[in-house]
Amino acid sequence: MLISERVKIEPLWKIRLRLALRSLRRNWALFWESRIGPLGLGIILFFVLLMIAHPILMATVWDSRVYDPIVGFDRALVGRHPAPPSWAHPLGTDPIGRDVLSQLMWSTRSEFALGVTSALITVVIGTLIGAICAYFGGVIDTIFMRLADLVMLFPFIALLMVLRSVIHLDLWRLALVMGILSGFGGITITLKAQALTVKVKPYIEAAKVAGGGAFHIIRHHIIPNIMPLSFLYMMFNVTGAVFTEAVLSYFGLLDIRMSWGIMIHTAESAGYLGAFGQYWWLWAPPGAAITLLCFAFYLVGRGLDTVVNPRLRKR
Amino acid sequence: MPLLDVKNLTMHYTTKMGDVHAVDDVSFAIEPGEAIGLVGESGCGKTSIALTLLRLLPDNAKFLGGSVLFEGVDIVRIPEEEMRKIRWRGISMIFQAAMNSLNPVYRVGDQIIEAIQTHFPIDYQAARRRVAELFDLVGLAPELMDRYPHEYSGGMKQRAVIAMALACAPKLVIADEPTTALDVIVQDRILRRIDEVRKELNMAMLYISHDIAVIAEVSQRIGVMYAGNLVEFADTVRIFKNPAHPYTIALMSAFPSIKGEKRKLQGLSGEPPDLLRPPSGCRFHPRCPYATAVCTESPPEYREIQPQHYVACWHPHLGRS
Amino acid sequence: MLRYIGWRIAQIFVTFFLFLTMVFLIFQAMPGDYTKQFIMNPKIPPEARQALAERLGLTGSVWDQYLHYVRNVFTGNLGVSFQHYPREVWDVIKERLPRTAVLFLVADLLAFALGYPLGKYIAWRRGRISDYVVTVTGVLFYTIFTPLLAIILLFVFSNVLGWFRSGGFLTPSLWLRPPVSPQTVFLLLTATICGLLGLWAGSHFLTRRIGHPRPRAWARRGLVALGLGLAGIAWGYSGIGSYAWDIVWHMFLPVLAVTLISFGGTMLLMRDSMLEVIREDYITTAKAKGLPEKVIRDKHAARTALLPTITNFTIGLGFIVSGGIVTETMFSWKGMGLTYLEAVLQQDFPLAMGCLTFTGILVLLLHLVVDVLYAFLDPRISY
Repeated sequence: MLISERVKIEPLWKIRLRLALRSLRRNWALFWESRIGPLGLGIILFFVLLMIAHPILMATVWDSRVYDPIVGFDRALVGRHPAPPSWAHPLGTDPIGRDVLSQLMWSTRSEFALGVTSALITVVIGTLIGAICAYFGGVIDTIFMRLADLVMLFPFIALLMVLRSVIHLDLWRLALVMGILSGFGGITITLKAQALTVKVKPYIEAAKVAGGGAFHIIRHHIIPNIMPLSFLYMMFNVTGAVFTEAVLSYFGLLDIRMSWGIMIHTAESAGYLGAFGQYWWLWAPPGAAITLLCFAFYLVGRGLDTVVNPRLRKR
Repeated sequence: MPLLDVKNLTMHYTTKMGDVHAVDDVSFAIEPGEAIGLVGESGCGKTSIALTLLRLLPDNAKFLGGSVLFEGVDIVRIPEEEMRKIRWRGISMIFQAAMNSLNPVYRVGDQIIEAIQTHFPIDYQAARRRVAELFDLVGLAPELMDRYPHEYSGGMKQRAVIAMALACAPKLVIADEPTTALDVIVQDRILRRIDEVRKELNMAMLYISHDIAVIAEVSQRIGVMYAGNLVEFADTVRIFKNPAHPYTIALMSAFPSIKGEKRKLQGLSGEPPDLLRPPSGCRFHPRCPYATAVCTESPPEYREIQPQHYVACWHPHLGRS
Repeated sequence: MLRYIGWRIAQIFVTFFLFLTMVFLIFQAMPGDYTKQFIMNPKIPPEARQALAERLGLTGSVWDQYLHYVRNVFTGNLGVSFQHYPREVWDVIKERLPRTAVLFLVADLLAFALGYPLGKYIAWRRGRISDYVVTVTGVLFYTIFTPLLAIILLFVFSNVLGWFRSGGFLTPSLWLRPPVSPQTVFLLLTATICGLLGLWAGSHFLTRRIGHPRPRAWARRGLVALGLGLAGIAWGYSGIGSYAWDIVWHMFLPVLAVTLISFGGTMLLMRDSMLEVIREDYITTAKAKGLPEKVIRDKHAARTALLPTITNFTIGLGFIVSGGIVTETMFSWKGMGLTYLEAVLQQDFPLAMGCLTFTGILVLLLHLVVDVLYAFLDPRISY
């Protein structure tokens, strides 16, 4: 009898799935052990809930004429906007009469979209370049490394301030621009270093001997092995993207309709930031939201760091 | 009085997956000036014992019982401050992989002087002279004192580490695989040097290695470790000529002999046990050709079967004495 | 060592050239050819426009303009500012630069003085409560939204406590008829700080002879304190001390803001670095030698952990500049950052380009200094 008849051979995908689940469980345990990772994740979850709750509230409890984050207006309080927090408006209203809490919740969606998109683009570009530079070395390597130096030299926000005159920066374009710019920067250097450690491993040599072409090796061996690190850096990039957008919005340099930064900008241009304590609900909630989201993603990044980098673990 | 008297030493490591029973009821003694060898496979607990002697164990190591008497003082139980004084001055260590034992940003000479000045109130110049003497002892040029570790070769680094271990004229030096990372020729030279130095300074030495040939060359008595237990302890000749424990016998049979009749090399089947869940009774019983029921039930007593020959086995092989 | 510096300077030149080119291209891409913008500027009298256009090389093809631009940069002619016509860009920058320099120099030093020991201590106490608390706090300050921090600080200090009421960097009433310009005061302040820094660095050398670490550390501190005292006396007697103090007073809040944000980064870097170093064998050896804990932590672990921290610092330089723009704006601190923002918003392209160019030079120089410092600290680097 053939072995394949005697022994039940599992299909490859099943084996892969089982191994993936096992390593997922192990990594989750490590992530949990870092303590700060789960804290960050918890905060992110909170924001996700906010994001989900908004359309529900708008459909049920909130009257869209009053509570719409962009065009709402509460006529009942006319003349007293920005109104302090009350039962009707838990976080008060802004100078134009819109509900602050509604704005906060609605913007969560754009912040997530922006952050994740931008970070994803950065990481995809960075990983590809890192892997290619590590594998091919030589001229290609030098070019991209010099480019990375140049990109890192440019103060990011300063650059975007200028670019806004050239490109009409709405949410998606901003994400694209930020993603691409960051993708060529420092991340390539780090990922290339990691890819180099993979490149010198014996199985790469074995793959080459077995006839694997360059792109095959890059796609099937190098990239999967640097993906954990890429994923890790994605977290830090989300932090950067959300922060950058918030700063630019605060200075009124973007063409986004509503975001946390814009909320503070509105307050400032209407002159309400001078008396800090009096109109606290105009700047504290959005400011705190920006801080917390960046904070949360950074913590998750650091939590992942202990998973990816064994030296940082407790044991 | 023995210089070092280890009695029933037991410790384990706490890990996420459970407790690793690294050292179990180990007892042996070292007299002043004596050279003892500790041999065993990787993971058998020899390095753990060495680290316990200097109290350098990581945080997850738990000491469970027994005592370690150094010059009559139980060094496992004294406070950290007291232990600090004994470290290097009473007991010092030559670590495995000397390459990493030296801090790359400081000069080699300064690192040795640091050790000396921690334990003796002498000034910098006097300490430098001492280091020059030590370098001479191990066969290094005194100018090398002012160089950095990355400027040394592997063999030179090993010698430097040996010099550092001897700096405070300790009574006991633990040498943990001192030559594993070196090539055979340098290995031989260094081993010889270590032995000469030991005799000259009349120090006691505890050699730890997995290589029994190396151990045999430099030790007067040998302890054989298996899975956290000390299974046999006797002087070198006896270990080779009259091994009593089946594991030791297997080790000896694994060696081709230049003299005597040609025979087939006999390896030992199986693998060392997982110390998370060690086998019941005698830890060697799964691989032992002579195992019986009692071997699976209770761990054998460690006793003296012949003068100065200790074995932990229910059925020790008693040959000619 | 000199050869290494020379090689690095050559590399910097190449990078700088590329940087200049990029700056030029970016501003060329501005919508509506900025020469027209310039020509349309009502502030400039028509007769002067043509002459100015030629002088600035705004006539001719793009390539000509580029060459003209490069030549101008290297001869120090960065053009004329649109906003502050007829002041030259270089003039404006010269005035604003020391303010940024002083602010960031002081803030970074403080951030380092805070972050380095903190990172050191908590890495040593890995896994205990203090580790988590301090780490989380560090991350919080590192990721806090800068304007929020600025508002909070202003709120606490100006509103609640009533200190530091005015923004800006000086009290106008005090400076009605000053004997020296604020410019000079800033330059002197920068010089004082650099001098003290140099003294601190030099004190390591001067106290070499003292063998034992404790008295040696005190000797170093004594020297620096002496320098500080002398500087204080010199300022006091110079007659312009009160002006200097006025500036320092206004510097308090922005410095606090920048320090709080930066110290988080330094501390986290230091902690990560230490954690890697602690695993090394030479730390175990140090413990085996019977060295006291503090010595192992400070002399062996921290010293070696310092090196990657320095390298990582250079990567963050671009962000520091960006952060500067925000901080300066929030506190109305008229430095390079604020100038740049205003220039961009007012479409004063020569000034904006000039600022960017200058920032590029500074960052590259800082890069060089840090590289040299690193080579100095790590004996494994051969040059």
